[in-house]
Amino acid sequence: MTSPSSNSIWLYRYSLLVVFATVLLILAGGLVTSHEAGLAVPDWPLSYGQMMPPMVGNVFWEHGHRMIAGTVGILTLVLTLWVQFGKKCARIKKLAWLAMGAVVLQALLGGLTVILLLPPAVSIFHACLAQTFLCLLVALAFFLSPPFVSAGLAPAAASASNTGTAQRPWLFKFWVLIFAAVYVQLILGAIVRHTSPSHAVVFHVIWAFVVIGLIFLGVRAVLVTLPERQGPARTALTLGLLVIVQFFLGLGAFLYTQVLAHGYAPRTAEIFFASAHHTNGALVLALSLLLTLQVRE
Amino acid sequence: MKKFMFVLMAGLFVCSQAALAGNVTGSAAFSGTAPAKTEIVMAADPTCASLHTEPVYTEEAVVNSNNTLKNVFVYVKTGLEGKTFPAATTPVSFDQNGCHYMPHVTGVMVGQPLEIINSDSTLHNVHSLAKESKEFNLGMPIKGMKIKKTFEKPEIMVKMKCDVHPWMNAYVGVVSNPFFAVTGEDGSFEIKDLPAGTYTLAAWHETFGEQTAEVTVADGQPATANFSFSG
Repeated sequence: MTSPSSNSIWLYRYSLLVVFATVLLILAGGLVTSHEAGLAVPDWPLSYGQMMPPMVGNVFWEHGHRMIAGTVGILTLVLTLWVQFGKKCARIKKLAWLAMGAVVLQALLGGLTVILLLPPAVSIFHACLAQTFLCLLVALAFFLSPPFVSAGLAPAAASASNTGTAQRPWLFKFWVLIFAAVYVQLILGAIVRHTSPSHAVVFHVIWAFVVIGLIFLGVRAVLVTLPERQGPARTALTLGLLVIVQFFLGLGAFLYTQVLAHGYAPRTAEIFFASAHHTNGALVLALSLLLTLQVRE
Repeated sequence: MKKFMFVLMAGLFVCSQAALAGNVTGSAAFSGTAPAKTEIVMAADPTCASLHTEPVYTEEAVVNSNNTLKNVFVYVKTGLEGKTFPAATTPVSFDQNGCHYMPHVTGVMVGQPLEIINSDSTLHNVHSLAKESKEFNLGMPIKGMKIKKTFEKPEIMVKMKCDVHPWMNAYVGVVSNPFFAVTGEDGSFEIKDLPAGTYTLAAWHETFGEQTAEVTVADGQPATANFSFSG
């Protein structure tokens, strides 16, 4: 057991800040889609040929999304460099560079959606990569966390010496399965959001019940199997709560986007439910990954 | 002398064509309950809001006081197959004015310029959702800016929208001949100089769909085609 240095603690706190900023970015992206503002700024990387166009109408949402994205890009670069020079573990460094690569690719995909006028395939890829990027940052923050550092475990060492799952390998495998199921749901959700009319909504709804069932079984398994470990138990309970919230947000989003007639512009309730469902879905995915990593520890 | 003969022959040809053509007039009647008007809230762009002192309504279903429909696009659906018409060179005006498209429905020939104007002191993007022609999305941030665009293939209808101001949308009918019209404040239309023959005319409305009518144009005689929509 080693005590984490002050630098490590600040690096961990900074990684949490980047995770938080990324959740905000995902929310901002959801608001762009919900406001149908994806093409409100027809050029890229500039906006109407400027760095800062008048923030009127839907330009506010699209250019605001670009500004937050730029900030997250810079935050990620700083995180990557900090890990590069402040950490010895090669795998953590690779993970940081992978996150950096993901955010650069994400920016390019964002530009492509504008230039190619929102082709569904690019938009769906952009939506999925956003949440994959969040997962990379969550994993990075987990490996930079004081308990993990205190245990003196690098990711490679952890996989070889973990004691929790050595006795319960099924629990880790089960959470890998749950994470995969949530990721599939994310892809289906992205297809629903970026195609119209979308038949994928049927699969998205059916698969939601599968995911809810799996998560509740997984949460129960964690609480029963690892009652002595506060971290996984806390994550499991939060995840269970978020899944319940997600179910009701999904109902609202379904009602407003698929059932009720549309007005000349998206309604406030439609924007709220669709964006909140989208962002909460990202949190469910991120917590599923966190719990998977925690039970593996 | 040769030049004079050429002009004379050309003149005779034009006159003979006119004599063998006729005007088609008619109207788009509406029966049933007129849809409730939806007031547009322009608060998202203070410049747009400041341009109006009176309420502004959406135009997806404008019923005139004489129970006719405004913004119905009337065009020749069949009867002109095999005939080609050179694209008109006069641009069709399509103005962004008061954060509204003017007109809401218009028509243009394949290859004819559509002159898109920004008369507002706020920025717009004009986004064509054409399926048959190349889709485009252009920024028009400056008041007085003009852009000319053409469409490569016929299409009923091409939706135009401003993604900055979600209430702004309009429709452009793209046809391969000059015989089309849009109903106005009295619901009437006139298609001029349609060559003699039998045609199917179609009347398209964004909310009430499409109606068709058979019409025969003979020896320069006026013809009538009326359409009836119900709500």
